[in-house]
Amino acid sequence: MVSGLKVGLLVALASIGLSLIFGVTGLVNFAHSEMVAFGAVIALLLESTVGLNGALFPLAVVLAVLAGGGLGFGLERGIFGPLRRRKMTNISLMVVSIGLAFLMRYLILIYHGAEPETFESFRIQSGVSLGPIELPAKDYFIIGIAFTTLLMVGLLLQRTKLGTSMRAVSDNPALAESSGIDVNRTIMWVWILGSALASLGGTMIGLTQVVEWQMGEKILLLIFAAVTLGGLGTAFGAMVGGLAIGFASETSTFWLDNDLKFLIALAVMIVILLVRPRGILGVRERLG
Amino acid sequence: MSSRRVVLESKDLVAGYLPGVDILTGCNFKLYQGELVGIIGPNGAGKSTLVKSMFGLVEVRSGVVQLLNEEITNLAAHELVRKGVGYVPQTENVFPSLTIAENLQMGAYQLKPNEVQERMKNITDLFPKLGQRLKQRAGLLSGGERQMLAMGRALMMEPSVLLLDEPSAGLSPALQVDVFENVTAINKTGVSIVMVEQNATRCLKISDRGYVLDQGKNAYDGTGEGLLHDPNVIKLYLGTMAESR
Repeated sequence: MVSGLKVGLLVALASIGLSLIFGVTGLVNFAHSEMVAFGAVIALLLESTVGLNGALFPLAVVLAVLAGGGLGFGLERGIFGPLRRRKMTNISLMVVSIGLAFLMRYLILIYHGAEPETFESFRIQSGVSLGPIELPAKDYFIIGIAFTTLLMVGLLLQRTKLGTSMRAVSDNPALAESSGIDVNRTIMWVWILGSALASLGGTMIGLTQVVEWQMGEKILLLIFAAVTLGGLGTAFGAMVGGLAIGFASETSTFWLDNDLKFLIALAVMIVILLVRPRGILGVRERLG
Repeated sequence: MSSRRVVLESKDLVAGYLPGVDILTGCNFKLYQGELVGIIGPNGAGKSTLVKSMFGLVEVRSGVVQLLNEEITNLAAHELVRKGVGYVPQTENVFPSLTIAENLQMGAYQLKPNEVQERMKNITDLFPKLGQRLKQRAGLLSGGERQMLAMGRALMMEPSVLLLDEPSAGLSPALQVDVFENVTAINKTGVSIVMVEQNATRCLKISDRGYVLDQGKNAYDGTGEGLLHDPNVIKLYLGTMAESR
């Protein structure tokens, strides 16, 4: 159960950015999962070559998150922003993102290599008991970080001017512009935030599993499933969808083979969408 | 009228949505301070395009738009909001997933939080129905309530010029009366208003002046009352005029 919660939180963390970016631009960003991998690789690089390990490892995580935010800034400023302003269709932009995903994946392969690696700082840990729960210390760290971050993102979206403007742009970019919101600036912040969260998610996933060049590809389907299940374009939907997918996949291993766990999660997604096509938190609007 | 200050003016505007297809083909327009000006015309005449091109939402291909003698041609809409121009679109004019309070806050995005609270109180005084339901999601409002919220949102920045694109579209006759009363009330507070309308008679009745557009150009202009009884306008626009009486 706790493992399901952990995986769910991590999928949620990795998914929010995709949902936010889709919400404000309409772009289905296939490169998002590579942004997840990017975060893990940067944190590993900082740990192994710069020496930010042990007690300094949280600094490596922070720097990886900042690098992720920088990557988002660069992608919006250098690629997606200019293409959008040239009125490129979302289908074309999606194809660009697929190309970008391949580019990033193979760049990671070239610089990181094909061998899976683990973070040295958390390779072997004994279990720590907390009531009936016994987990390695790193899992408490991961759950704590993921939960706190999701809470903070929720507060940002609901309680701050920037967050409300993100939701407004997601609802209707033209109306947001007419209301005095600088839409391009808001989109830039969404890219920075979404990429930073993807990077954090990647680092945390790297801590629980391994860091490898294909990790983005492996999590891509789960991220898309989470976003679709939660309701396209809503950050809270991505959180709920991520938790549901993670939970369903992990708890299914009680009864089924471990190899089938992602299939179960995807089956759950299909069943829920059959009952509620707009996703769990997708909202219905009054007409007229 | 000519001694009054011109707040918004467009000269020889050519604008359109698709490359090579011009909707406006040389349109001229003037709004004097404190005026309520109606823009009417048949479907496809370019009424909404004129307002959108003055507000930076449709690219102006040639011609000039001026706000208080400052050129604002093709300036981004959010910058025009800062300069005191408000705009209420015809459809999709509220943020459906945001609450009424958040919709109003977004109207004053460029202001400081304490100013926003003060402005919100002014708007809820003007539209008490909004004040009673601040926590309600805008997507659940009726058409008339949405129009009210859309106007309230546009007024949050206390604009000197308000552009309204068919504010009565899709509303029942009773709600249309409310909308025109609201527009008149807002105008009486000193806000200069440009209103595009399909309901020509009602629009011209409350307008100081009016413009009749046809095929992207000025066809006629004059006082609201004058246009109402102009045989040429009635001839061009007879169907709609007759229907709306």
